[in-house]
Amino acid sequence: MPDSRQILALPVVLLLLVGAILPLTILVVISFWSVDFDAFELVPGFGLASWREILGNPTYPYLIGKAVLTGGVTTSLTALAGYPLALSLLRLPKRWKSVALVVLLTPLYTGEIVRIYAWRLVLGTDGLVNSLLMGLHLVDAPLKFLLFSPFTTALALFYDELPFMTLALWIALERLDMRLVEAARDLGARPLPAFIRVTLPLTSTGLCAGALAVFALSAGDMQTPNFLGGPSGATALASIDNFFGTAFDWPTASALALTLLLTLIVAAALLAAGILRLGGRPARVAR
Amino acid sequence: MTHREPAHVLLSARGLTKSYGGPPVVDRVDFDLGERAFTTLLGPSGCGKTTILRLIGGFERPSAGRILLDGRPIDADPPERRPVNTVFQSYALFPHMNVFDNVAFSLTLRSGTGDIAAKVARALDAVHMGEFTNRFPNELSGGQQQRVAVARAMVAEPRLLLLDEPLSALDRKMRAHLQVELKDLQRRLGIAFVYVTHDQEEAFALSDIIMVMNAGRIVQAGAPQEIYRRPASTFVADFIGGASLVSGHILSATADRAIIRTALGTFEAPARPAFTQGEPAVLVLRPESLAPGRVGEAVPATVRHVTYAGQDFTVEAEAHGVVLRFAAQEAPEPGATVPLAVLGHKAFVTAA
Repeated sequence: MPDSRQILALPVVLLLLVGAILPLTILVVISFWSVDFDAFELVPGFGLASWREILGNPTYPYLIGKAVLTGGVTTSLTALAGYPLALSLLRLPKRWKSVALVVLLTPLYTGEIVRIYAWRLVLGTDGLVNSLLMGLHLVDAPLKFLLFSPFTTALALFYDELPFMTLALWIALERLDMRLVEAARDLGARPLPAFIRVTLPLTSTGLCAGALAVFALSAGDMQTPNFLGGPSGATALASIDNFFGTAFDWPTASALALTLLLTLIVAAALLAAGILRLGGRPARVAR
Repeated sequence: MTHREPAHVLLSARGLTKSYGGPPVVDRVDFDLGERAFTTLLGPSGCGKTTILRLIGGFERPSAGRILLDGRPIDADPPERRPVNTVFQSYALFPHMNVFDNVAFSLTLRSGTGDIAAKVARALDAVHMGEFTNRFPNELSGGQQQRVAVARAMVAEPRLLLLDEPLSALDRKMRAHLQVELKDLQRRLGIAFVYVTHDQEEAFALSDIIMVMNAGRIVQAGAPQEIYRRPASTFVADFIGGASLVSGHILSATADRAIIRTALGTFEAPARPAFTQGEPAVLVLRPESLAPGRVGEAVPATVRHVTYAGQDFTVEAEAHGVVLRFAAQEAPEPGATVPLAVLGHKAFVTAA
């Protein structure tokens, strides 16, 4: 007899089907089509031209690799900054924690474009940082690398994604029994070894959650590199946008989108597996 | 205890105080811990005994006062630099490491620790856990976890082992069993133990010295027999051993004896401190200071409650408005009046 509870899984199955599997299938199908540029029409069929373009032209693997690198760098930076930040939030008195939570999430309320223009004001040639440095006579000419460089992209993405990482680590640390850290210190571990051998493994699930969120958000970000990266701001996403829009080359757009997606999924899976390994061998279930 | 050599002072506290803004949790405490001594901090919950342990361990900084090890102040030393290890109340075993890695933890942090595997094996054998090296903490019973925690702490070869109510989460039989093991282990290792508990039976079973604490202060320190027989205050008398306290005043006194008049009558008993005539005082009556059924100077007492306690009955009776607890071989009927003799030489007079 079929279990009547199985019907409860129906909404999830439908959501997956309509929201993920169906659109992906459409992408796969279109990636094998071609375009009649004279008639401006998509021609159904089975050709490998778009796939040859994406995998053969070194530009696209480069852009995809850059997305992975951007995600990896942002994830590492936010993790390095997120732990000290989350550990200090942990020590706040209870009533200050809700205040800290609101402050932590404030940048997220402002919207990406607003933040991007704010960065321009801060980092531009006549911006806050350069004016300050010039005023203090620390530099003679405005620092050019501050804006429209890979540095700017990395900084802005780090700033944008830090709340997600901090939040995930904070929750994980709140659940960590601090006596375990005390025990490590008691047994002779200085603060850093105690962190590496006890705090880090026991918060690895939180780190993993934060890392996956930050990786996806930063590797998949188009606006920040586009508006702040200057000449270095080209992204696979911008290419996809261009192919789907102006170029009217949906098959190539589909092939690029699928390749990017698959690469990011594999990278994220490797990242997650690596982080979870920090947690050591999972304990077998108690008898 | 007599075979014990005169102990060198290992650790001392002088004016040790800890407060978190409010009234002090530990209030101007002084003590000396001898090398190789088993010292117990005994007191009700919230009396500051665990805070003292945390101060010694280095997890808290004193608000005032000092802790000296071999005469050297160690207050600025973080936990990892103190030759002191702790067995935590919750054991605090690392859940992501198996038993071997837990015990080896302190050895892997230092260089030149020799054969780690051999040392871990020896420590685990000492607590009868040699066959569990590959188990994870969540696969062990409470008693087994406790043993691993002890092995993990002692493998670091501390000068002083701190134990924070290590047996409180275990059932009675396991507790009694592990008490014997701990005491045995302490003798074999020959290192000082500081043990925190609120269980006076446990304190009596284990300790060379008991320090009774109340409201952040050490109210009496001494050998278990001393604490039991000559409680320094009504708090100690009440906390230790279910005494009946009868207030009265001193008729006459010498250096260590006093005659006290109470509602139950006038008794002569050992006393401390030296009392003066007319001073208010309290007569401490242990169950063994009361003998039911004796004729002579017996007080008539009305039986209120009878509790079966195994080898005998614990009886709670009332005489002249005073509640008295004593042991009886046969259970009297509640409401009945029984004659009760007060044995002055087995009682004690302490300050009111």
